[in-house]
Amino acid sequence: MPEVRATRDPQAPFEPHTYKDPSLVADLQRRIGELAVEIGRPVKLMHICGTHEHEMGRYALRDLLPASVDVLAGPGCPVCVCDNEYINMAIQLSLRPNTILTSFGDMLAVPGSIPLEGERRGDVRMSLLDARARGGDVRAVYSVFDAKRIAEQNPDKQVVFFSVGFETTVVAVAAMLKRGVPDNLSVIEANYYTPPATRLLPTLDGFDIEGFILPGHAVTITGLRVYEELPALGIACASGGFEPVDVLASVASLLEQVRDGAPTVSNPYQRLVKYDGNERAKAELNEVFELAPIRWRGIAEIPLSGYKLREPYWHASAARRFAGQLDEVALRGAEHPKGCRCAEVTLGQIRPDECGVFGTLCTPDSPYGPCMVSHEGTCRAWYTYGMHKEQLRVETV
Amino acid sequence: MSKPSEDTLTAERPVGASRYDTVRLSHGSGGKLTLELIEELFVATFSNEPLKELTDAAILHNPGGRIAFATDSHTVKPAFFPGGDIGRLAVAGTVNDLAVMGATPLYMSAAFLLEEGYDMDELARVVRSMKVTADEAGVSIVAGDTKVLERGHGDGIFINTTGIGFLPDDVQMGVAFVRPGDKVLVNGTLGDHGIAVMSRREGLDLAVDLTSDVAPLNGLIAAVRAVAPNVRFMRDVTRGGLAAVANEVVHRQAFGLRVFDVAVPVNEIVEEYSEMLGIDPLLAANEGKVMMIVAADEAEAALGAMKAHPFGREAAIIGDIVVKPEGVALVETAYGSRRVLEMPIEEQLPRIC
Repeated sequence: MPEVRATRDPQAPFEPHTYKDPSLVADLQRRIGELAVEIGRPVKLMHICGTHEHEMGRYALRDLLPASVDVLAGPGCPVCVCDNEYINMAIQLSLRPNTILTSFGDMLAVPGSIPLEGERRGDVRMSLLDARARGGDVRAVYSVFDAKRIAEQNPDKQVVFFSVGFETTVVAVAAMLKRGVPDNLSVIEANYYTPPATRLLPTLDGFDIEGFILPGHAVTITGLRVYEELPALGIACASGGFEPVDVLASVASLLEQVRDGAPTVSNPYQRLVKYDGNERAKAELNEVFELAPIRWRGIAEIPLSGYKLREPYWHASAARRFAGQLDEVALRGAEHPKGCRCAEVTLGQIRPDECGVFGTLCTPDSPYGPCMVSHEGTCRAWYTYGMHKEQLRVETV
Repeated sequence: MSKPSEDTLTAERPVGASRYDTVRLSHGSGGKLTLELIEELFVATFSNEPLKELTDAAILHNPGGRIAFATDSHTVKPAFFPGGDIGRLAVAGTVNDLAVMGATPLYMSAAFLLEEGYDMDELARVVRSMKVTADEAGVSIVAGDTKVLERGHGDGIFINTTGIGFLPDDVQMGVAFVRPGDKVLVNGTLGDHGIAVMSRREGLDLAVDLTSDVAPLNGLIAAVRAVAPNVRFMRDVTRGGLAAVANEVVHRQAFGLRVFDVAVPVNEIVEEYSEMLGIDPLLAANEGKVMMIVAADEAEAALGAMKAHPFGREAAIIGDIVVKPEGVALVETAYGSRRVLEMPIEEQLPRIC
C-alpha cells in the first residue's frame, strides 16, 4: 500500500494535488482489487457524510471499485436529516413581523410539512423559499457570523439563525455564543451529533453494512474514540478524507479489517484527524451545548444525538424565545410527502433510483424530498452525476 | 429636485461628465436634463456620426450578407469587479453573441435603467468602459435610451445592449454540422469571472488575486476562422459555465461530448477557491470564453490561432465528440472513471460544510 498515511509536516505548504495523484489512486485501486479477491464475497460499506457522496460522484469513484465492493451513502447530509419541526419553525418565524430569518443557502428549498395551498404539482409542502415569496424576510448567509452582523445592523428586529448541521457547524455557533451576541439574535437548535445514529443503524432490520467511512470533517472535532463501540458490534471503521486518495485509502483500510475479521477504528485521514479530536473545540462546544434527544427526519428520535443550548445560553434559543408564539400543531406535522422515500435512502436501505418519484416528480429544480435539495443529498448527487444511468461506456469513431 | 452644488457647477468637468453628482428622476423624463445627459455623457463618449444626429432611429450602412441580431440585459453585483465592470460586460456580451454565429458585429444600442441617486461619476466610468470595449471590438454604439427608476425601485444600474452584425451567406455553423471525432476547444481558463465576482460579494470578501476574463472575442474568433474554416459550432461560455454549453450541444443529438478533466485549463487560484467553496469550475461563469467544436484535422491550427491571440494564450483542446453515449455530456477523470456533466440547475453557491 502506498504511503498515504503520513502525517503532514506542519511547515510544508499544503499540496492538495498529492491526494488527487493518479498514480496513488491506481495503486490503491489495485490494492482494493486484491483485497476484494482475498475476501471472496460481496462487501457493503457506508459513508456518513454528504461531502463524501458529492466527491464520490464528482470523481466517479464507484467506477474504480470492484463489482463486489459497494459503498452506500448513510445519514450524512445535514439538510436531509433536519427534522420538519425545525423547518416549520424557521418558516413560521420568517413570516413573523420584524423578523429576519438567516440560513445556509442549502436549507432554503427544503420543504417542511406545512402544506402549500393551491399548488398544482401535487402534495407540495412549504419551504423557506415559499415563505420568502409570501413576504417572509429570509436571507442566505455563509456563516453564523453573517447572522450576527445582520443582527447588529438591525437592532430593532429579531434575527434568527437556522443552525443546521453536524459537529462542524455547531462548533462555530458555540464559539460565537461564548463570545457574546446581540440581544436580538437567537438560533434554531437543529444540530446533530453523528455517533448515536451510527449505533442505531446496526439495530435496523436487514442491516448488512460491514464498515463505516467516518465523516472526516466531524471527526476532526470529536475524534475517533466516540466510535469505539462500533467494532464491538462487528463494524469496521476508518476516518475518511475527501480527496480521491483519501476515500480509497479508507475503503482499503476497511477491507483489510473485513478480510482479517478484526474490526477496529483506523485513522487513514491522520493528516487532519487526531484520535481524541480537537480538545479546545470540544471544551467550547461542551460549555455551550449539551447532548439531548432529537428527531432525525423520517428516521427516529435518537437519544443524545442533538446539540441543545445549556441553561446559561437559553436566552439565545429561538424555540424558547418564541415559545407560545408558534403554532405548535403546525410544527409537528406529517412526515415526508406521499411517495417520498428519503428516509430509506438516508439509511442506505434503498438506492435513490429505487424511489418511485426519483427523477420524475422529484428533481433538483422541483425537489419533493430533502435528499434532492442539498448538494450533499444522496438523491441530488446521484441525479447530478448521473449515477442512476447505466455505466457510461464511450464509443469513438 | 435640489440644485447642483456650487462646486460641481463651476468645476471643470472632463468630457463625458455631468454637472450633477447623482442621477435625478429628471434625467429620464425626456426633458432638458435628459438631453443634457445624452449630449454631455453618451454622445460625447460614444462619439459617432449616427448617434450625433440625435434622431429617433440610427440609419446604418448595410455592408451586405445576412443580419445577425442579438440582445442581452445586464445586471451584476458588484457593478465594478476585478478585471471589469458592467459596461465592459454589456458590450462584450452582445459582441460575443454575434461573433459566435460567425457574424462581424458592427452596431450596438445601449439602454440604461438607472436608479435615482446613482453616482454620476460611476455612470461616467461605466460609459467610458463601454466605449473602450466597443472600440476594441470595432463596433459603434449608435442608439440609446435612458430611464430613471425611483430610489428603491432599481438596483443601481441595469444595461441592455442590442447588437447587429453581418455574416456572409457562405458561413455555415451549428449543431447540425457536428460529427463524432470532432475536437472540443476552449480559449483559456474556466471559471475566472464567476470566482472573481463571487470573491467580492458581501459575506465572502475573499482577498483573491484574480480578475474576470470579460472580453470581446470577435477578434479571436475571426483569427481562428481564418485558419480553420471548418469550425462546426461555437458558443460563448457564460452563466452555467462549460457544463451548460456542452449540454446544449448534445441535447437530443445522436452523439455525445466528452471532456477530459485534466485537459481543462483552470487558473490555480480558481482551483483553490473552487475546492474551498465547493464549486465546480466547469459550472462557474465566464465572460470571455468560447467553446468551439472543430474538425479533427483543423484542431491544431485552431488551437495555434487561439494561443497567438491575447485572449487565447491558455487555450486547450479539452475533449471530443463521441459516437456513444448519445445525447450525454460526460467528464472523464484523471483516473479513467466517468461521470455525467449535468446541466447546471441554479446559481453556484457555497455549501454548508
